[in-house]
Amino acid sequence: MRELEEALAAIAKAPDLEALRALKARYLGKKGLLTEEMKALARLSLEERKERGRALNALKEALEEALAKRARELEEEALRKALEEERQDVSLPGVRLFAGGLHPITLMERELVQIFRALGYQAVEGPEVEGEFFNFDALNIPEHHPARDMWDTFWLEGEGHSLPGPLGEEVRGRLLLRTHTSPMQVRYMVAHTPPFRIVVPGRVFRFEQTDATHEAVFHQLEGLVVGEGISMAHLKGAIYELAQALYGPHSRVRFQPVYFPFVEPGAQFAIWWPEGKKWLELGGAGMVHPQVFQAVDAYRKTLGLPPAYEGVTGFAFGLGIERLAMLRYGIPDIRYFFGGRLKFLEQFRGVL
Amino acid sequence: MRVPFTWLKEYVPELESPEVLEERLAGLGFETDRMERVFQIPGGVVFARVLEAHPIPGTGLKRLVLEAGQVVEVVSGAGNARAGIGVALALPGTEVNGLKIGERTIQGVVSHGMALSPKELGVGEYGGGLLEFPPEALPAGTPLAEAWPEEVVLDIEVTPNRPDALGILGLALDLHALGYSLVLPEVRLETENVPIPFGLQVEDPKGAPHFTLSYAFGLQVGPSPLWLQRILFACGMRPISNVVDITNYVMLERAQPMHAFDLRFIGEGIRVRRARPGERLRTLDGVERELHPEDLVIAGYRGEESFPIGLAGVMGGAESEVREDTWAIALEVAQFDPVSIRKTARRQALRTEASYRFERGVDPLGQIPAAQRALALLQELAGAKVAEGFLDAGNPKAPDPIPFRPDYANRLLGTQYPEREQLAILKRLGCQVAGEGPYQVTPPSRRLDLRLEEDLVEEVARIQGYDTIPLALPAFFPAPDNRGVEKPYQRERRLREVLAGLGFQEVYTYSFADPAKAPLFRLPPPPWRLLNPLSPERGALRTHLFPGLLEALRENLALDRPERALLFEVGRVFGKEGDQVVEATHLAGLLFGEGVGLPHGEKLSGFPLLKGYLEAFLEQLGLGLRVEAHPFPFLHPGVSGKVLVEGEAKGFLGQLHPEVQRALELPPVWLFELTLPLPEPAFRFQDPSRYPLALRDLAVVVPQAVPYGAVEEVIRQAAGPCLEGLALFDLYQGAPLPEGRKSLAFHLRFRHPQRTLTDEEVDQAVASVVQALRERGWDIRA
Repeated sequence: MRELEEALAAIAKAPDLEALRALKARYLGKKGLLTEEMKALARLSLEERKERGRALNALKEALEEALAKRARELEEEALRKALEEERQDVSLPGVRLFAGGLHPITLMERELVQIFRALGYQAVEGPEVEGEFFNFDALNIPEHHPARDMWDTFWLEGEGHSLPGPLGEEVRGRLLLRTHTSPMQVRYMVAHTPPFRIVVPGRVFRFEQTDATHEAVFHQLEGLVVGEGISMAHLKGAIYELAQALYGPHSRVRFQPVYFPFVEPGAQFAIWWPEGKKWLELGGAGMVHPQVFQAVDAYRKTLGLPPAYEGVTGFAFGLGIERLAMLRYGIPDIRYFFGGRLKFLEQFRGVL
Repeated sequence: MRVPFTWLKEYVPELESPEVLEERLAGLGFETDRMERVFQIPGGVVFARVLEAHPIPGTGLKRLVLEAGQVVEVVSGAGNARAGIGVALALPGTEVNGLKIGERTIQGVVSHGMALSPKELGVGEYGGGLLEFPPEALPAGTPLAEAWPEEVVLDIEVTPNRPDALGILGLALDLHALGYSLVLPEVRLETENVPIPFGLQVEDPKGAPHFTLSYAFGLQVGPSPLWLQRILFACGMRPISNVVDITNYVMLERAQPMHAFDLRFIGEGIRVRRARPGERLRTLDGVERELHPEDLVIAGYRGEESFPIGLAGVMGGAESEVREDTWAIALEVAQFDPVSIRKTARRQALRTEASYRFERGVDPLGQIPAAQRALALLQELAGAKVAEGFLDAGNPKAPDPIPFRPDYANRLLGTQYPEREQLAILKRLGCQVAGEGPYQVTPPSRRLDLRLEEDLVEEVARIQGYDTIPLALPAFFPAPDNRGVEKPYQRERRLREVLAGLGFQEVYTYSFADPAKAPLFRLPPPPWRLLNPLSPERGALRTHLFPGLLEALRENLALDRPERALLFEVGRVFGKEGDQVVEATHLAGLLFGEGVGLPHGEKLSGFPLLKGYLEAFLEQLGLGLRVEAHPFPFLHPGVSGKVLVEGEAKGFLGQLHPEVQRALELPPVWLFELTLPLPEPAFRFQDPSRYPLALRDLAVVVPQAVPYGAVEEVIRQAAGPCLEGLALFDLYQGAPLPEGRKSLAFHLRFRHPQRTLTDEEVDQAVASVVQALRERGWDIRA
């Protein structure tokens, strides 16, 4: 029994798996102490053999159990050690990738377009360099009319130039940077037939000095819905949906008469901003002026297209995207948008 | 336009308050820019009469003796300070416009207060002389505030379609349509039966469709009464003399400008004609102007000979202006061609109250009533006698009736206004309504903006109030040719989102380019220049986006010193083909700085990183990229490639040329710029093969100069249809390879869609690859 205790102690203290294997061979191997004892049983009487055999078996079991236990312990320790060696400082920074983001005007424009897409509008875009015809004349803003003063215009140098028309045809005339997205009303109507709903986001230009609230280059969203029976109530409904989508159920809309040559009746609209507790004058709107429809059909005729705008009505609206973005994000200066400063642009990454 | 509340209230006595007025005007379409309180005149400013004026020798000053309830002496430097006029006197101790008036000794004379100019009193801009009143305007010593109480002025915006509202009466008539009662001024004119001693010849009836002259004489020119001066000041004008002030007052009332000529300077009469080449005229503002043959002039004449005395509808001549000793005048009240006036005003850079109104249009029937109003006032305020009748040239045309259908109004507005109400509104606005269904509506002649049925619909809605129009949503199926029109927009949108998702920050830069900087960026001169740029640096339209990105980077470096940046912009650029502008959408990307990697370890940057981003970007869009070495002048000659997307040349990718980089004082920068739209990916679904892959490795040794792309191309061509994929896993040069050679090692993946490939088949494919490579003279590395 003293030997057994010694053996068990040796197993429990085996420093590694190799030592354990040696101990196993020493006791339980082919020539191990216990094996020898077992072999010696044959020489004993049946009675003795039985008793001695039981004792040896118990001893063997005890040894095997001790060996297995120690083996488990050693394996676990080895794993623990290996894992410990692989420990990393998880608080160290990872590989520095780039985190990108969209420009706040892109974000604001996307929000607006999504609001109108939900109402069945499609987004289309037009050229930034326009002809005088599309930007002014076809919109019932003739040359030498004081209404032209409402749009300070950048003109392109030179005479006798041309640009592609709504169907790619060559259009001659003075060129300018579009002062609003409204020329796309004409272009779209020339190339398509009603009924339809579109929005036109895009960059526009005004010849004016810049300061904190004025930019020579900014962005508008134009809306145009044309069909039979389209009414001013539909215009108000569209702006109401915009207000609700932007500022929630407590928002309201306000329409007041105003003059734009290409709408009649004309309106300017404001949205009640519940959070800021004030009316935001957002843009102009109205029912498409009959002269615009006539100009479109006359132009269609020159392209060999049949008239498509007799007997229909439509509404149009336009709003400034910068102003909405400035209010939404609390941006104090309109010049930031073209500043390209990352410290400004990177702040909008969390914006949905 | 400036609208003094109390003046408007004379015509619309039921007006509640300036605040209510602001709201009403907004509902009518006149927005108030600001509301201003004027005539806050301190109690210490009194009316005084100048008894004596003595020059102080050796100075430009005068010692004035004033009757101001008591006799007071002050010193004044004003040119118009003279005996017999009424003035505004600030007594010592009064604070006027932030200035404390005390007793001062000037040139040895004690000044007991100060006689004020309009500017000093804070009622006008004019500081060049004393405010001048009729001597008996008030009892001397009366506080001026009693006659000039505080006024609230609304500065309202009058849109170009409503020139009638450039007169206070036009606004009063609009308010009347809302239901306010209206008080029109009484015009009591007593005429003399005397002949008009001058003639009228309108040579250009197109330029002056209606022209009237009347004759007033026996005038006593002097300062206007207090109430008239007060209105002019409140409206932002400067009182001159009773005669001139009356013409301005009637203009402000009726939006009808007019001009009085001193009879002594018109010869035998007035001839309206175009200017002759080289003709000159000194206008009232003292400027000697050279006239243009298109300018319409008012000329005096003697026989055949004629001489300009006014620039029609813009400004009178200095010589024929009304002065203190003017005894008789010819009063011109006319209608001019708006375009002609606008062109002249622009050419002469002379925008006056008159030209502003004429270029928007005046009431074609408004000349005689306006003249009568002015003549009556001349009689009342300047002692004038008025000759009977007018010289009247032209055929003023009354407006045509407009067909009007109340049910169309309701359809266009989405309302259900009763017919009776609609017609009542039009009548209240001064329209005549005749017939029934459709009605014939004749608008008042002053409403030049009412031409079409839709214009009348707006009138109905305007007076009902836009807030009475309900809210609705239209339901319809779009016409078929509208389907799918937003695809280009959505594709561009997606492209931006993919780039942002990959790590690019979007920036916006101006559409302008500095033509002087084109050589710096090694770009051809921009073909489109602006006629009226804001500054030379923004004098042209951009042809590329990358210069804007570089400028943006430069500013960021100067301000915030970022260690790296990955930027993109999507925007329009402007080229030229023949005479035609070619507008294209570009996408540009920029990489600068240390790139990606562990903050404390190795970084990947430069060309391979930007190319990797471009590859990942295009892969997300389902598009394949190839870059071929190709020189671009603004790129590093050794790191410059042409970008092919699905085989289509789309732009460039490379490193900014080191010389350009140095000139811009930038660190090394990598760029790409592509022309959009990108090709549409040819999508066809392929069922992924379930059969096993066969993998082979292959190393090719080629001369240094052979681009990787050429090797890949040969392998793909030779490997046959079962090559599923190919990946470069090693690029090596150096021993034991011979000098000038490099080894490219590839993993090749073979698979058949419908069966398991045999080893023989794969070996054969590899053998063809090897053979093709060897045919190029390249070696296979064992």
